[in-house]
Amino acid sequence: MLIGIDVGGTYTDGVVFDRGEVIATTKVPTDDKDIKASVLQVLDRLLEQHPADDISRIVLSTTVVTNLLATGSWERTAVVLIPGYGLPADAYGISEDTFFLKGGIDFRGRELEPLDQAELEQTGRQIRSAGIKRVAVAAKFSNRNDSLETKAAAYIKDNFPEMEVFLGSKISGKLNFPRRAVTTYYTALTSREWNSFVDAIEEALAERGLQGEVHILKADGGTLLLDASRSLPCETVFSGPAASTMGALAISSDKSNAVVLDIGGTTTDIALIIDGSPLYASKGASINHRYTHINAFAVRSIALGGDSSLTASPGRVEVESFRRGVAACFGGGAATVTDAFNCKFNLNIGDPRLSAGALRELAGQAGMEPEELEAAVVDTVIGRLRDSIQNMFKEWENEPAYKVWEVIHKRKFTLDKIIGIGAASRAIVPELARVMKIEPYIHRYADVANALGAAVARPTLSVSLHVDTQTRQYNLDPGGVKGSLDNAGKFQMEDARQMARRYLEKIGAERGMKSYVEESGFFMEEQFNMIRGWDSSGKLFDVGIQVAPGFIEEFKGVKA
Amino acid sequence: MKPSGILFFPAFDWAITPTHPEREERLLYTRDQIFEEGIMDLPQVKEYQPGLAAPKDIARVHFCVPDIPAQITEAHLVSAGSALVLADAFMQGEIKNGFAIIRPPGHHSMSVSHGNRGFCNINNEAIMIEYLRRKYGARRVAIVDTDVHHGDGTQEIYYNDPDVLFISFHQDGRTLYPGSGFMEELGGPLAHGTTINLPLAPRTTDTGILYALDTLIMPLLEEFKPDLIINSAGQDNHYSDPLADMRFSAQGYAQLNARLSPDIAVLEGGYSVETALPYVNMALIMAMAGIDFSNLREPDYVPERMKESAGNLEYIKKMVKQQLAAFRQREEVIARNRKTDQHFHSRHKQIFYDTDYIHEEQSVKLRLCPDCAGFRLIESTAQHRNGQYYRVYCISIPINACPACQAEARSYYGDLSGNSRYDFIYLQDRIDDEYRSIDTGKDLEKVL
Repeated sequence: MLIGIDVGGTYTDGVVFDRGEVIATTKVPTDDKDIKASVLQVLDRLLEQHPADDISRIVLSTTVVTNLLATGSWERTAVVLIPGYGLPADAYGISEDTFFLKGGIDFRGRELEPLDQAELEQTGRQIRSAGIKRVAVAAKFSNRNDSLETKAAAYIKDNFPEMEVFLGSKISGKLNFPRRAVTTYYTALTSREWNSFVDAIEEALAERGLQGEVHILKADGGTLLLDASRSLPCETVFSGPAASTMGALAISSDKSNAVVLDIGGTTTDIALIIDGSPLYASKGASINHRYTHINAFAVRSIALGGDSSLTASPGRVEVESFRRGVAACFGGGAATVTDAFNCKFNLNIGDPRLSAGALRELAGQAGMEPEELEAAVVDTVIGRLRDSIQNMFKEWENEPAYKVWEVIHKRKFTLDKIIGIGAASRAIVPELARVMKIEPYIHRYADVANALGAAVARPTLSVSLHVDTQTRQYNLDPGGVKGSLDNAGKFQMEDARQMARRYLEKIGAERGMKSYVEESGFFMEEQFNMIRGWDSSGKLFDVGIQVAPGFIEEFKGVKA
Repeated sequence: MKPSGILFFPAFDWAITPTHPEREERLLYTRDQIFEEGIMDLPQVKEYQPGLAAPKDIARVHFCVPDIPAQITEAHLVSAGSALVLADAFMQGEIKNGFAIIRPPGHHSMSVSHGNRGFCNINNEAIMIEYLRRKYGARRVAIVDTDVHHGDGTQEIYYNDPDVLFISFHQDGRTLYPGSGFMEELGGPLAHGTTINLPLAPRTTDTGILYALDTLIMPLLEEFKPDLIINSAGQDNHYSDPLADMRFSAQGYAQLNARLSPDIAVLEGGYSVETALPYVNMALIMAMAGIDFSNLREPDYVPERMKESAGNLEYIKKMVKQQLAAFRQREEVIARNRKTDQHFHSRHKQIFYDTDYIHEEQSVKLRLCPDCAGFRLIESTAQHRNGQYYRVYCISIPINACPACQAEARSYYGDLSGNSRYDFIYLQDRIDDEYRSIDTGKDLEKVL
């Protein structure tokens, strides 16, 4: 049996899934101040019916890191940047405690300028006198050569032992220094808090005698062993939308083009599935308006949900971005979006008479007929959702391309269906689909698809390799591993592929995902000849291999 | 404030030959640099997706012999099409300016294209300008060619167009390909003075080039009052370029673009792939987007080594003075040229295609019209690399031609159809946006 738990903004959902069926579900209000308590409350309720011995795997999707980053309630943390020449210093306003060091690395990983020891000492003293104990260090092109970062970090650790230091090269091997610096900073902000959450969960699971694997859901829709997540707290952001997208794939399981609409109390998350694969955010997850190197689904969140409140003024009605409580039909008192759809389409949700009463009162305030007011609310909601979906498509179609082949074979797209997730989707999605002239898809597990998606998601892992046969250096990500080639003269694409695959196998074994390594595939294979004068002086390779998001082996779909 | 539009199309799967300067690797380190800098994430910059040019966009400028597919690859359609994407974004007010970092380049391509010259098959800037004139009614355009090589293709295309001011500074043609771009090349008889060349001595530095910008180029632009300013943006004036011998720096390029403030810049040459391009492309993006570029420089830049000599500065001053005068006398000269009672002005030309090793012979007749800048009749012969010999006849009606010229030029097309003296006869009517060709051997006409 599998357990999936999804911590949402309003509710925490849990399911027990076994042999194609959801055999237990539960839901509790989320306590933002104590996420661990909400998780354990759901877990204990599920365990009441299903003994711990039967549980082979638990996957958690949590908001611990997301909340910490959203609320700004973090410990003061310094950012030490080594940007070299290029953009001006004011392009990097990451933290109020940002320090700059001299030093430079170029795109080939060559050191252009060393660190300035006196400046490093002075920076260390400044950080200490500010009472800061967490330091994120990031150098431009540290993905090609981490020596400046590691030297700076070693010095800080030796001379200022109270400081915990985080390195950009360990966080991401991708190009984009500002995103690497931001991700390193966010890692420093959340690392200790995430680790104490992991400690508490491990302890609680041990107390309950749970022996199965415990995973955490990542923003890319894949899972990671709880213990392996300790050094990568930021990977856990936006796991809510990842859970619902994986849930949509689990309940629809075909190769169609679909839009996933997860309609919650006050927010709707929109994701796209193209040829059966979820679409990723091309610039990485954006956290607090800054791009990061966190691989995440392209999700657009809009402040509109089933519980969104309605406000009337003479001649008009507004759909608000907040909620006052549950819908009137569930005894909430005031009219909501759900109530308007309930009446207009005779959906018979909860007690429809309560919906009608609340809407009548609102219509009175607006000086409108109730039918007129319902139609206005429905139009507003459908219009906003449709516009957001269409904008997402436009953005996807406008993604840059860097090869002739990609431009000539430009992606064409027609939408097959809208997959509704979340309780309110039953009220809203059929009308939206009718207006957009596409098929609505609302599965019987739509209400719990997020927790279900978490329960059956498989681990993911992406490895990238950069090789420069002229400098004989190679860099492997994740982990910022570098080394020197002994066969640079004869190194070919096949060698690069094997090297990347071996590293994937190694990390895969460490992360307990050996059985998925065989399902890995190359997503990037680039080779450039370096010509100096008219002769070849070496080759550059960039190879990427990944275990893409998908489902665990025992998941064979849900029973219809 | 609107962002600057950047379209980065490095064509990582296109090369002339594996070891050619125009190879896959050319923009690789530029990619690394601009991606690592994260400059595309800044609010001042908006990245655009490449597009495809249509055959008609190419026919508006070129007579491709025997036809368009014979002269281009898909990469050329993407490169030219990408300039059009930024042109649209600019005209529709989405961006304050745009920089198309694209390859293959185009500024050595002339009206008639028998093959590849100076790494170019079709002229990206001219295709963009004619597209803008057709679609948005832009009329007066200034092109500043900042490539180290003379932009002879663009010059030829607009040599007889008084509404296009073409300014090129470059390393002196006596010392560098294509061996043209001298002071006395000032435009055709009815477009005299709107072609301005400034052949600079080898080893000219930031000081010399920026002096020419401030004292010649900027005043010319002010007096000409173009609707659009295009930078035909080569990066091979850089001190590290392997094919040329100038001493321009990334800071120099940034200053030049900040002061020139082009509406659209289109990448041309530049073959110092590691030492110059990553930094010069950053310089252009930063200058156009209004980002402080004082912290940008090449790792090996030593300003002390790049001092301008007093003698060279004097030499530039003299040229600037002469070219300013030539530009300001243009209306007088044109009026004088118009008074000749010849119907046509005729010239004979030989054009060499260095990349494809083709020798083209051309005779060009320009109608000396009293009311407009006339039209061109071009007879061209060349033996292509496959051994095929072509004799073609091209009729080019510019967008600003008068109705009488349009009618007369079209009548030649009608009269010549079926004339087997020519393998192909082409009509390029920019007024009606109609492009015809006749394959006389097959008696087959195509219309775009």
